[in-house]
Amino acid sequence: MTDTFHLEFTVNGRLRVLDIAASHTLLDVLRDDIGLTGTKECCVVGECGACTVIVDGRSVNSCLMLAAEADGADVLTVEGLAPSGQLDALQQAFLDTGAAQCGFCIPGQLMSARALLQRTPHPTPEQINEALAGTLCRCAGYEQSRQAVLAAAEEVGS
Amino acid sequence: MQAFRYLRPSTVEEALALLEEHGDKARLLAGGTDLVIELRNRWRTPEVVIDLKGIEELRPSIRVEGGRLVISAATVMADLERDPVVAERFPALAEAAAVVGSVQIRNRATLVGNICNGSPAADTTPPLLVYGAEMVIASPKGRRRLSIDEFVLGPGKVALGPGEMVVAIELPMDRTIAAAYTRLTRRHGTDLASITLCCGVDASGTTRVAYGSVGPRAWLVVDDTGVLADPAASREAKAPVLAALFAKATPSKTSMRAGPEYRAAMLPVLGARALNTAIERLGRTA
Amino acid sequence: MKDQGVGARAQRIGGVGRVTGGQRYVADIPLADMLHAKLVTLDCAHARILSIDTSAAIALPGVHFVMTPDDLPKPMPRFGPEYQDRPVMADGETKYHGEAVAAVVADTKDIAEEAALLVKVEYEVLPAIHTLEEALAPGAELVQDPAIRRPGPHIASNILSEYRFGWGDVDAAAADADIVVENTYDWPSQTQFAIEPHGFIAAPDGDGIAVWSSIQHPYQLQKTVAKVLGIPMAKVRVFAPDPGGGFGGKQHTKLEPLVAFMAVRAGQPVRLILTLEEAFQAVRSTGARMRVRTGIKADGTLVFQDFVNEFLVGCYGDTGDRVSAKGSFLSAGPYRTPAVRIVSRAVLSHTTPTHPMRGFGIPQVTWARESNLDEAAIAAGVDRLEIRLKNLVKYGEEHVPGDTPADGDWAQTVRKAAEEIGWGTPVPPGRGRGIAIGLKSGPTTGLSYSTVRFLADCSAIVFSGTSDMGQGARTIYAQIVAEELGIPLDSVSVVMGDTAVVPYDQQTSASRSSVLMGNAVLNACRDIQRKLKARMADMEGIEEAAISVDRGVMRLPGGEEALPAVLKKVLGRMGGEIVGNGEARKDALPEHPLGGTALFFEFNCTAIEAEVDEETGETDILRHVTVGDVGLALNPIQVTGQDEGAAVMGVGLSLMEHLIWGDDGRTRNLGAIDYRIPTSLDLPRELHSFSVENGDGPGPYGVKGISEGSLLCTAPAVAAAVRDATGAVIRDLPLSPERVWRALQERP
Repeated sequence: MTDTFHLEFTVNGRLRVLDIAASHTLLDVLRDDIGLTGTKECCVVGECGACTVIVDGRSVNSCLMLAAEADGADVLTVEGLAPSGQLDALQQAFLDTGAAQCGFCIPGQLMSARALLQRTPHPTPEQINEALAGTLCRCAGYEQSRQAVLAAAEEVGS
Repeated sequence: MQAFRYLRPSTVEEALALLEEHGDKARLLAGGTDLVIELRNRWRTPEVVIDLKGIEELRPSIRVEGGRLVISAATVMADLERDPVVAERFPALAEAAAVVGSVQIRNRATLVGNICNGSPAADTTPPLLVYGAEMVIASPKGRRRLSIDEFVLGPGKVALGPGEMVVAIELPMDRTIAAAYTRLTRRHGTDLASITLCCGVDASGTTRVAYGSVGPRAWLVVDDTGVLADPAASREAKAPVLAALFAKATPSKTSMRAGPEYRAAMLPVLGARALNTAIERLGRTA
Repeated sequence: MKDQGVGARAQRIGGVGRVTGGQRYVADIPLADMLHAKLVTLDCAHARILSIDTSAAIALPGVHFVMTPDDLPKPMPRFGPEYQDRPVMADGETKYHGEAVAAVVADTKDIAEEAALLVKVEYEVLPAIHTLEEALAPGAELVQDPAIRRPGPHIASNILSEYRFGWGDVDAAAADADIVVENTYDWPSQTQFAIEPHGFIAAPDGDGIAVWSSIQHPYQLQKTVAKVLGIPMAKVRVFAPDPGGGFGGKQHTKLEPLVAFMAVRAGQPVRLILTLEEAFQAVRSTGARMRVRTGIKADGTLVFQDFVNEFLVGCYGDTGDRVSAKGSFLSAGPYRTPAVRIVSRAVLSHTTPTHPMRGFGIPQVTWARESNLDEAAIAAGVDRLEIRLKNLVKYGEEHVPGDTPADGDWAQTVRKAAEEIGWGTPVPPGRGRGIAIGLKSGPTTGLSYSTVRFLADCSAIVFSGTSDMGQGARTIYAQIVAEELGIPLDSVSVVMGDTAVVPYDQQTSASRSSVLMGNAVLNACRDIQRKLKARMADMEGIEEAAISVDRGVMRLPGGEEALPAVLKKVLGRMGGEIVGNGEARKDALPEHPLGGTALFFEFNCTAIEAEVDEETGETDILRHVTVGDVGLALNPIQVTGQDEGAAVMGVGLSLMEHLIWGDDGRTRNLGAIDYRIPTSLDLPRELHSFSVENGDGPGPYGVKGISEGSLLCTAPAVAAAVRDATGAVIRDLPLSPERVWRALQERP
C-alpha cells in the first residue's frame, strides 16, 4: 500500500518501528498504535493543547503533526517524565500545589512546562503564562499550575 | 482524514519533480498547522502530501546574504521570535511571529506557510508588506522573486503557479524602516485577529501601514506627506491622514469575531498606537 | 500543619495518575474486539428526514452496520431526567443542529468516519426557532409534539413549564417605594466545555450490558439504560471513570442508549468518542432574559423585587424545567425583601439540549438582580456595599419565607470581600470597582450510601458513588476515613465508578458531595466504630455505654486506645474485617415549590477592580477577590483550587463566552477556535480566594459545598467595575471589547 508509512522514531527513550497510515497524526499513533494514552485528544485544531508532546526538544500539538513527520525524531510524552516511577520535580510540584483537578489537561500542561524549563530554567510568571497559554484548563484558574512551574524551576535550578 | 501518500524529497529539484508529476493532486506540507486541519476536515483531499522539511536547502535558517535577510521555507515562528537580527532590524516581524497561535503552534508553523496559506488574517503578512519582503519562488524553469504585495491575492489565493513553490522569504536590509505590529483579538491568549496591523516609518518621513483581517487580503498603504511620521505633529493633524489610509478596509458583515463598525473604528486606534511605537523606535535607531 | 485527616492540605488521591498519564478516562480504556461508532448528522438545525440510504456506507469494507431509527424499537424509545422526551436518535425529524440521524459501526475510527460521509440522507430543512421572541410569538410552531408532552396549561405553546414564586404584595408595595428601577438583562447560552469531550462505550456483559461513560450521575444512567433496553437494572453495569471535567455538562444520559443498542446488535464492544464539536452539540447551558423591577426606600431599604425570568432551553425538556425553577426561586437573593414576585418560564427551541452549568441557573438571575440593585443604589445615591449590607439577612433569618433560613454569618463574608478590594478607599484614576453577592441553594433532596471496609491490617477501602470529576471527592472521603479510623491517609483506598460494586448515590451535582456523600462516609465510619465498641464491650465484659469513640480513638474505662489497635484486638487471630455502612439523606418535601428546602447555601461575595481601555473597550481585571462561606475547608488546597477555578470560569462567562446561532439555528461557533474560554493570559492580574470558616454547615465537621460559589456573581461584579470606571452601562453578556466599546459610544 502506498498510503502506509514505515515509521522509526524514539518515544520516551524507546525505539519504535511500525507501519502506520500516512494520514495518521502523531497523536493517533501515540494513542492508538503504541497505546500511550496519557497524551489526550480534545479539540484537534491546535487550540487546547491537551495533546502536547515534546518532539526534538520542542513542545508541539501532536494533533497537528503527521506521525510520518516524526520519523527519526525523539518524542517525549507524559509517560516519559517518570521513567523509573520516581516523579520528576514538575510532576511533584503539580501534585503539591493541587494544580491537577480533573487532570485531563495536565499531561499537556506538564509537557508545555517541561519544554519551557528546558529552554528557560528560571522563568518569570509572565513567561510561564505564555508557555501555558496553549493548554486550556477548565477546572482550575491556572494559578496553581503557575505556582507549580515556579516551584519546580526552583527545585531543578538549585 | 482521507488516505494519502506521504513523500519526503531531499532536494528542491525532487520536490518540483513531484509537484510536476502529481499536479493539483499534490499538496506541500511545511509546518502543517493549517494543512493538517484542512486534511482532517476534508477541505483538501490531496493524493500526495509532499513534506518540505527533508530538503536541506529549506532547513530552518535565518541568514544575511548580499544585504538581505533570507528566511528559509522551513523556518518556524519560534525561530523568528528568538533571532537576534530579526529582533534588531525587523522587530515588527518578531512581534507578529510571537502572537501566532501558542508556543506549540509557533514551534511548527512556518513563516512561508503562513503567507502561502493566503489567510487574510495572517499575522505576519502586514510586517512583511511594510518591510518590503520578497518571495523567492522556485519552478522547473528556475527561480524568480515576487514582492509580497504582488504575491498575496485573496482568501486562500497567492500568486503561485502550477509546479511552483516558495523556497524563501527575503527582507531588504539596505534601508531602515522602524516598524511595530499590533492586532485586535477577543482575548489575550491565542486568537485569530480581527485586525492585524503594522506601521513603519523611515528617516525620509514616509509611513507605511499594512493591515489585514478587514478585507480579502492585507493591504499596504503609504503616506508620503510626512505628517504621520513627524513626531512633532499633533494627534489632530494626524487623525485625518491616518483615517484616509484605511479606506480599503471592507470588514466582514457576517463575521462572528467582530462587527464591521467596531473593526472600522479600531483601525485608526491601532494605527495610531503602532505609529507611535514606530516613531519611538525610529528615534532610538537615529 | 496537618498533612492528613480533616483540614489537612492533603495531596489529591488519584493525583499521581493525573501527572503521569496513568489516569484512564473513557477514551483511554482498551477493550478487546472493540468497534468504533461515528454519528451521522445534518448541517442544519431543524429538518424533516425523508430517507436514509445506507447502502454505500455498508458496502465499505470494515463497516459492520449502520444504525438508523428503523433498527430501533417502535415507538422510538425516549428518555430524559425530567421528561421522557429525548429519542435515542432523531425520529423522523432533527430538532437541533447535530442531532444524530444514523450511526455507523466499523472496525476502525477511520472506516467509521469514512462511512458516515457515505450515508445519504434526504431531508427538508425547516425553519428553526432559536430565540425567545420566536418561541413565544403567537402562532409559533411548536417545538415539541403535544402528544409526547406532560399535560398542562402550556402544552399548546413552547413554554415547557412556568412557575410563580413570591410573597407579599408587590403591587401594593410599589406605592411605598421611593425609587423603582426596571431593566432587562440578557445572559447568553454558553457551553460547559469540559476539556474531555464526552465518551461512551457499551459492551455485552453476560446476559446484560456494561456501559462506560464519563458521566456525573452513573446511577441515573443505569436506570435509564435498563428502562430503554427493557432489562432489569441489575443487568446494567455502569462504569463511570473519572470524568475529565463535568461542570454540569455530564450530568445526564445522552448517547449511551444508542451505543448500548449498537453493542447489543454488534455482540461486541462499541465505542463512541465525541469530537469537541460534537460535544458542543451534545449539550449546552441555558441562556436567559430577565426583566427586573427593584423598589427601594430613599435610604436603600428594599421594598420589593419583581422578576420575569425566561430561560431558553433546547428542544427537549432535559433539565430545563429544574434549572429555570431552581435558578428563579432565589431570584431575590439573600436580602430581606417584604414583597417579591417571580415568574419563571422555561422556553423550548430548536437548539442543543440544555444541562445545568456550574451554578444551575443562579448566575443568570444573579446577573440581573445584582446589576439592578446597583442601578437602584446609584439612583438613590446609596453606596453599593451599604445597600447590600443593609438588606442582607442575618444568621438564622429567612430570606425566602418557609425555606431554610440563612445558614451563615453572611455579612462577615461581604465585609471580608469589601476589605480585600479596599472598598471605600480612593480608586486610582481610570479604574472602577464592583461588588456582588451570589446565593445558591445546595441540594434540595439527596440520597447517598457508602460502605467502608476496615481491613485486618488497619487499612481501609471506601466505596462511594460520587464521580470525581476534579473536585477531589476521593481525597475528601479518604481524609474523613483517616480521621475517623485513626489511620494514615495513604492506607485508605477509594473505590468509585462501578454501579455493580459501589452502593447508590443519587448524583454528583449542586456541590453536594462533601456534605451528602461526606456524611454517608462519616456514618459508615461511625457504623464501624459502633461495631468495634460492641465487640470490645463483649470482650472486655463492660457496658457499651462506658465506651466512647472520637476521631480514631476509643475511650475505655481503663484508658484510651487507638482504633487500629482496637481493630487488631477485635479481629484476633481469625482476621477478617469490619464493614460499616452509612447513609445520608435529604428528604423531599412535596409541598415545597422545589420539592425540598435547601440543605445548605453556597454564599459568595466577589469584588472586582478593573480598568477599561476606553479606545478599544478591553476590560482588564486588576484585582479579583472571591470570598466564600465554606463552613469548613476539609482540604484547603482543594477549596482554593475549586474557588479559583470557578472564579476564572466566571471571568470567561462574563467576558468572552457565548454560543452564536445563525438565523437557520445552526451553531456557528462549534469548537475551540471560535468559542473562547480563558487561557493563562486572560486571568485577573491578581486573584485572591478567601474562605469564611465557621463550622456551621450540615456536612462532616460543619462543611458546606463550595464548588460553584465564586462564579455565581462574577458577571455583575465585573460589569459594575466597568460601569464604575467608565460610566458605561451594559445589560448583555459577554462584556466583549466590542460590546464595551459600543456601550462607551452610547454613554450619556
